Amino acid sequence: MNTVLSRANSLFAFSLSVMAALTFGCFITTAFRDRSVPVNIHVSRVLLKNVDDFTGPRERSDLGFVTFDLSVDILCFIWLHLKPIFDWNVKELFIYLSAEYSTKNNALNQVVLWDKIVLRGENTKLDLKDMKSDYYFFDDGNGLRANKNVTLTLSWNVVPNAGILPLVMGSGHISVPFPESYESTKSY
Amino acid sequence: MFSMFNSIPTHMDYKGQKLAEQIFQGVILVSAVIGFIYGLIIEQFGWTVYIMLAGFAISCLLTLPPWPMYRRNPLTWQPIVQETPEIREKPQENLKKKKHK
Repeated sequence: MNTVLSRANSLFAFSLSVMAALTFGCFITTAFRDRSVPVNIHVSRVLLKNVDDFTGPRERSDLGFVTFDLSVDILCFIWLHLKPIFDWNVKELFIYLSAEYSTKNNALNQVVLWDKIVLRGENTKLDLKDMKSDYYFFDDGNGLRANKNVTLTLSWNVVPNAGILPLVMGSGHISVPFPESYESTKSY
Repeated sequence: MFSMFNSIPTHMDYKGQKLAEQIFQGVILVSAVIGFIYGLIIEQFGWTVYIMLAGFAISCLLTLPPWPMYRRNPLTWQPIVQETPEIREKPQENLKKKKHK
Protein backbone atom coordinates (compact mmCIF):
# COMPACT_ATOMS: atom_id res chain seq x y z
CA MET A 1 0.00 0.00 0.00
CA ASN A 2 3.02 2.22 0.05
CA THR A 3 3.45 2.84 -3.67
CA VAL A 4 0.96 3.49 -6.46
CA LEU A 5 1.62 0.08 -7.99
CA SER A 6 1.02 -1.85 -4.81
CA ARG A 7 -2.19 0.07 -4.21
CA ALA A 8 -3.31 -0.64 -7.77
CA ASN A 9 -2.52 -4.30 -7.26
CA SER A 10 -4.55 -4.67 -4.08
CA LEU A 11 -7.42 -2.64 -5.57
CA PHE A 12 -7.54 -4.86 -8.65
CA ALA A 13 -7.36 -8.06 -6.62
CA PHE A 14 -10.09 -6.90 -4.28
CA SER A 15 -12.46 -5.90 -7.08
CA LEU A 16 -11.87 -9.20 -8.86
CA SER A 17 -12.84 -11.06 -5.70
CA VAL A 18 -15.96 -8.94 -5.33
CA MET A 19 -16.82 -9.57 -8.98
CA ALA A 20 -16.51 -13.31 -8.45
CA ALA A 21 -18.79 -13.06 -5.45
CA LEU A 22 -21.33 -11.10 -7.53
CA THR A 23 -21.24 -13.73 -10.26
CA PHE A 24 -21.82 -16.43 -7.71
CA GLY A 25 -24.73 -14.42 -6.34
CA CYS A 26 -26.17 -14.17 -9.85
CA PHE A 27 -25.92 -17.95 -10.15
CA ILE A 28 -27.40 -18.69 -6.75
CA THR A 29 -30.39 -16.37 -7.24
CA THR A 30 -31.40 -18.23 -10.40
CA ALA A 31 -30.19 -21.77 -9.75
CA PHE A 32 -33.48 -23.13 -8.49
CA ARG A 33 -35.78 -21.44 -10.94
CA ASP A 34 -38.18 -23.46 -13.06
CA ARG A 35 -37.52 -22.64 -16.69
CA SER A 36 -40.26 -24.71 -18.24
CA VAL A 37 -43.12 -23.09 -20.16
CA PRO A 38 -46.09 -24.60 -21.94
CA VAL A 39 -45.62 -25.39 -25.63
CA ASN A 40 -48.16 -25.94 -28.34
CA ILE A 41 -47.10 -28.10 -31.25
CA HIS A 42 -49.42 -28.96 -34.07
CA VAL A 43 -48.49 -31.18 -36.99
CA SER A 44 -50.29 -30.53 -40.24
CA ARG A 45 -48.72 -32.92 -42.72
CA VAL A 46 -46.41 -35.87 -42.65
CA LEU A 47 -44.71 -37.03 -45.82
CA LEU A 48 -42.77 -40.23 -45.95
CA LYS A 49 -40.25 -41.08 -48.64
CA ASN A 50 -37.96 -44.00 -49.19
CA VAL A 51 -34.59 -42.84 -50.51
CA ASP A 52 -30.99 -43.86 -50.47
CA ASP A 53 -29.23 -42.79 -47.34
CA PHE A 54 -25.63 -42.20 -48.30
CA THR A 55 -24.62 -41.31 -44.78
CA GLY A 56 -24.97 -44.75 -43.29
CA PRO A 57 -25.16 -48.34 -44.41
CA ARG A 58 -26.05 -48.83 -48.07
CA GLU A 59 -29.64 -49.79 -47.56
CA ARG A 60 -32.77 -47.91 -48.38
CA SER A 61 -34.07 -46.09 -45.30
CA ASP A 62 -37.19 -44.16 -44.41
CA LEU A 63 -37.03 -40.39 -44.73
CA GLY A 64 -39.82 -38.48 -43.12
CA PHE A 65 -40.74 -34.94 -44.06
CA VAL A 66 -42.57 -33.25 -41.27
CA THR A 67 -44.35 -29.98 -41.74
CA PHE A 68 -45.58 -28.59 -38.53
CA ASP A 69 -47.08 -25.56 -36.94
CA LEU A 70 -45.34 -24.53 -33.83
CA SER A 71 -46.47 -22.02 -31.34
CA VAL A 72 -44.42 -21.44 -28.24
CA ASP A 73 -44.62 -18.78 -25.63
CA ILE A 74 -41.17 -18.41 -24.21
CA LEU A 75 -41.64 -15.17 -22.41
CA CYS A 76 -44.83 -13.33 -21.99
CA PHE A 77 -44.34 -9.77 -21.03
CA ILE A 78 -47.11 -10.04 -18.51
CA TRP A 79 -45.10 -11.50 -15.74
CA LEU A 80 -48.11 -12.48 -13.73
CA HIS A 81 -49.07 -15.12 -16.21
CA LEU A 82 -45.77 -16.68 -17.17
CA LYS A 83 -42.62 -17.32 -15.34
CA PRO A 84 -40.00 -15.69 -17.52
CA ILE A 85 -37.13 -17.80 -18.72
CA PHE A 86 -35.00 -14.78 -19.47
CA ASP A 87 -33.87 -13.81 -16.04
CA TRP A 88 -30.56 -12.06 -15.51
CA ASN A 89 -28.58 -15.27 -15.72
CA VAL A 90 -29.70 -16.22 -19.23
CA LYS A 91 -27.72 -15.19 -22.27
CA GLU A 92 -29.48 -17.23 -24.89
CA LEU A 93 -31.74 -20.19 -25.42
CA PHE A 94 -30.97 -22.99 -27.79
CA ILE A 95 -34.34 -24.40 -28.74
CA TYR A 96 -34.65 -27.65 -30.62
CA LEU A 97 -37.45 -29.89 -31.73
CA SER A 98 -36.74 -33.57 -31.39
CA ALA A 99 -38.64 -36.64 -32.43
CA GLU A 100 -38.64 -39.72 -30.28
CA TYR A 101 -39.85 -43.09 -31.41
CA SER A 102 -39.11 -46.72 -30.91
CA THR A 103 -38.36 -49.27 -33.59
CA LYS A 104 -37.68 -52.95 -33.64
CA ASN A 105 -33.94 -52.36 -33.59
CA ASN A 106 -33.79 -49.60 -31.00
CA ALA A 107 -36.03 -49.02 -28.03
CA LEU A 108 -35.48 -45.26 -28.20
CA ASN A 109 -34.53 -43.16 -31.22
CA GLN A 110 -34.03 -39.42 -30.89
CA VAL A 111 -33.70 -37.20 -33.93
CA VAL A 112 -33.31 -33.43 -33.86
CA LEU A 113 -35.49 -31.91 -36.58
CA TRP A 114 -35.15 -28.19 -36.13
CA ASP A 115 -33.40 -25.73 -33.90
CA LYS A 116 -33.30 -22.04 -33.23
CA ILE A 117 -31.22 -19.74 -31.11
CA VAL A 118 -33.06 -17.00 -29.25
CA LEU A 119 -30.68 -14.36 -27.97
CA ARG A 120 -31.36 -12.03 -25.10
CA GLY A 121 -33.42 -9.07 -26.21
CA GLU A 122 -34.85 -10.79 -29.24
CA ASN A 123 -38.51 -11.46 -29.74
CA THR A 124 -39.43 -14.04 -27.17
CA LYS A 125 -42.87 -14.78 -28.53
CA LEU A 126 -42.38 -17.51 -31.06
CA ASP A 127 -45.24 -18.12 -33.46
CA LEU A 128 -43.98 -20.18 -36.31
CA LYS A 129 -46.27 -21.47 -39.01
CA ASP A 130 -45.81 -24.08 -41.75
CA MET A 131 -42.26 -24.79 -40.77
CA LYS A 132 -40.28 -27.48 -42.47
CA SER A 133 -37.70 -29.40 -40.56
CA ASP A 134 -34.16 -28.14 -40.95
CA TYR A 135 -32.51 -31.50 -40.87
CA TYR A 136 -33.29 -34.75 -42.61
CA PHE A 137 -35.35 -37.07 -40.54
CA PHE A 138 -33.72 -40.37 -41.41
CA ASP A 139 -34.35 -43.59 -39.70
CA ASP A 140 -31.59 -46.13 -39.85
CA GLY A 141 -33.93 -48.66 -41.33
CA ASN A 142 -37.60 -48.73 -42.15
CA GLY A 143 -38.91 -47.89 -38.73
CA LEU A 144 -40.75 -44.71 -39.68
CA ARG A 145 -43.34 -46.21 -41.97
CA ALA A 146 -46.57 -46.93 -40.14
CA ASN A 147 -44.99 -45.93 -36.87
CA LYS A 148 -47.95 -44.97 -34.76
CA ASN A 149 -46.13 -43.13 -32.05
CA VAL A 150 -43.57 -40.56 -33.10
CA THR A 151 -43.42 -38.00 -30.31
CA LEU A 152 -42.32 -34.45 -31.07
CA THR A 153 -40.98 -32.51 -28.11
CA LEU A 154 -39.53 -29.07 -27.85
CA SER A 155 -36.62 -28.68 -25.48
CA TRP A 156 -34.13 -25.95 -24.83
CA ASN A 157 -30.72 -25.42 -23.39
CA VAL A 158 -30.45 -22.38 -21.18
CA VAL A 159 -27.07 -20.72 -21.71
CA PRO A 160 -26.30 -18.85 -18.50
CA ASN A 161 -23.89 -16.11 -17.53
CA ALA A 162 -22.65 -18.23 -14.67
CA GLY A 163 -23.42 -21.67 -13.42
CA ILE A 164 -24.82 -24.85 -14.84
CA LEU A 165 -26.21 -25.35 -18.35
CA PRO A 166 -29.70 -26.70 -17.74
CA LEU A 167 -31.62 -28.70 -20.31
CA VAL A 168 -35.30 -27.93 -20.02
CA MET A 169 -38.09 -29.84 -21.68
CA GLY A 170 -41.12 -27.86 -22.67
CA SER A 171 -44.32 -29.10 -21.15
CA GLY A 172 -46.42 -30.16 -24.08
CA HIS A 173 -45.62 -32.67 -26.80
CA ILE A 174 -47.48 -34.28 -29.65
CA SER A 175 -47.70 -37.80 -30.90
CA VAL A 176 -47.80 -38.22 -34.66
CA PRO A 177 -48.82 -41.35 -36.52
CA PHE A 178 -46.75 -41.81 -39.65
CA PRO A 179 -48.39 -42.85 -42.93
CA GLU A 180 -48.51 -46.41 -44.11
CA SER A 181 -47.27 -45.68 -47.61
CA TYR A 182 -44.38 -43.82 -49.16
CA GLU A 183 -44.70 -40.79 -51.36
CA SER A 184 -43.29 -41.30 -54.82
CA THR A 185 -39.68 -40.23 -55.07
CA LYS A 186 -40.18 -38.47 -58.42
CA SER A 187 -39.98 -35.00 -56.97
CA TYR A 188 -36.96 -35.79 -54.88
CA MET B 1 15.21 12.90 -16.87
CA PHE B 2 14.15 10.42 -14.21
CA SER B 3 14.67 12.94 -11.47
CA MET B 4 11.49 14.61 -12.69
CA PHE B 5 9.54 11.42 -11.93
CA ASN B 6 11.33 10.89 -8.68
CA SER B 7 10.26 14.31 -7.48
CA ILE B 8 6.56 13.29 -7.73
CA PRO B 9 5.46 12.19 -4.27
CA THR B 10 4.01 8.65 -4.32
CA HIS B 11 4.17 7.65 -0.70
CA MET B 12 1.49 7.71 1.94
CA ASP B 13 2.05 7.64 5.63
CA TYR B 14 0.83 4.66 7.66
CA LYS B 15 -2.49 6.15 8.69
CA GLY B 16 -3.01 7.30 5.10
CA GLN B 17 -2.46 3.77 3.81
CA LYS B 18 -5.00 2.41 6.24
CA LEU B 19 -7.47 5.13 5.23
CA ALA B 20 -6.90 4.43 1.53
CA GLU B 21 -7.55 0.72 2.00
CA GLN B 22 -10.73 1.37 3.94
CA ILE B 23 -11.90 3.86 1.30
CA PHE B 24 -11.41 1.61 -1.70
CA GLN B 25 -12.91 -1.41 0.03
CA GLY B 26 -15.92 0.63 1.07
CA VAL B 27 -16.43 2.18 -2.36
CA ILE B 28 -16.14 -1.14 -4.20
CA LEU B 29 -18.39 -2.99 -1.76
CA VAL B 30 -21.06 -0.29 -1.87
CA SER B 31 -21.00 -0.19 -5.68
CA ALA B 32 -21.17 -3.99 -5.76
CA VAL B 33 -24.23 -4.04 -3.53
CA ILE B 34 -25.90 -1.26 -5.54
CA GLY B 35 -25.08 -3.01 -8.80
CA PHE B 36 -26.34 -6.36 -7.54
CA ILE B 37 -29.66 -4.93 -6.43
CA TYR B 38 -30.09 -2.87 -9.59
CA GLY B 39 -29.19 -5.79 -11.82
CA LEU B 40 -31.55 -8.07 -9.92
CA ILE B 41 -34.38 -5.58 -10.34
CA ILE B 42 -33.93 -4.89 -14.05
CA GLU B 43 -32.80 -8.49 -14.75
CA GLN B 44 -29.58 -7.45 -16.47
CA PHE B 45 -26.33 -8.79 -15.08
CA GLY B 46 -24.37 -6.54 -17.42
CA TRP B 47 -25.45 -3.49 -15.46
CA THR B 48 -24.17 -5.09 -12.27
CA VAL B 49 -20.76 -5.40 -13.89
CA TYR B 50 -20.86 -1.82 -15.22
CA ILE B 51 -21.74 -0.36 -11.81
CA MET B 52 -19.04 -2.48 -10.24
CA LEU B 53 -16.52 -1.15 -12.79
CA ALA B 54 -17.64 2.39 -12.08
CA GLY B 55 -16.94 1.80 -8.40
CA PHE B 56 -13.54 0.45 -9.36
CA ALA B 57 -12.76 3.59 -11.37
CA ILE B 58 -13.92 5.88 -8.56
CA SER B 59 -11.83 4.07 -6.00
CA CYS B 60 -8.85 4.22 -8.37
CA LEU B 61 -9.26 7.99 -8.58
CA LEU B 62 -9.67 8.26 -4.83
CA THR B 63 -6.85 6.08 -3.60
CA LEU B 64 -4.22 5.64 -6.29
CA PRO B 65 -2.76 9.16 -6.26
CA PRO B 66 -1.29 10.09 -2.86
CA TRP B 67 -3.71 12.90 -2.14
CA PRO B 68 -2.77 15.24 0.71
CA MET B 69 -5.36 13.65 2.98
CA TYR B 70 -3.28 10.51 3.06
CA ARG B 71 -0.19 12.42 4.17
CA ARG B 72 -1.52 14.27 7.17
CA ASN B 73 0.23 12.11 9.77
CA PRO B 74 3.89 12.07 8.78
CA LEU B 75 6.21 10.03 10.95
CA THR B 76 8.04 12.09 13.53
CA TRP B 77 11.63 11.08 13.22
CA GLN B 78 14.14 11.60 15.95
CA PRO B 79 15.98 14.90 15.70
CA ILE B 80 19.44 14.72 14.21
CA VAL B 81 21.90 13.99 16.96
CA GLN B 82 24.63 16.60 17.00
CA GLU B 83 27.30 14.28 18.38
CA THR B 84 27.90 12.28 15.27
CA PRO B 85 29.98 14.82 13.32
CA GLU B 86 32.23 15.30 16.32
CA ILE B 87 32.96 11.60 16.54
CA ARG B 88 33.94 11.59 12.90
CA GLU B 89 36.23 14.54 13.31
CA LYS B 90 38.14 13.11 16.20
CA PRO B 91 39.96 10.38 14.32
CA GLN B 92 40.84 12.90 11.63
CA GLU B 93 42.43 15.09 14.24
CA ASN B 94 44.36 12.13 15.51
CA LEU B 95 45.63 11.41 12.04
CA LYS B 96 46.68 14.99 11.59
CA LYS B 97 48.50 14.90 14.87
CA LYS B 98 50.33 11.76 13.85
CA LYS B 99 51.39 13.39 10.61
CA HIS B 100 52.71 16.39 12.44
CA LYS B 101 54.81 14.21 14.65
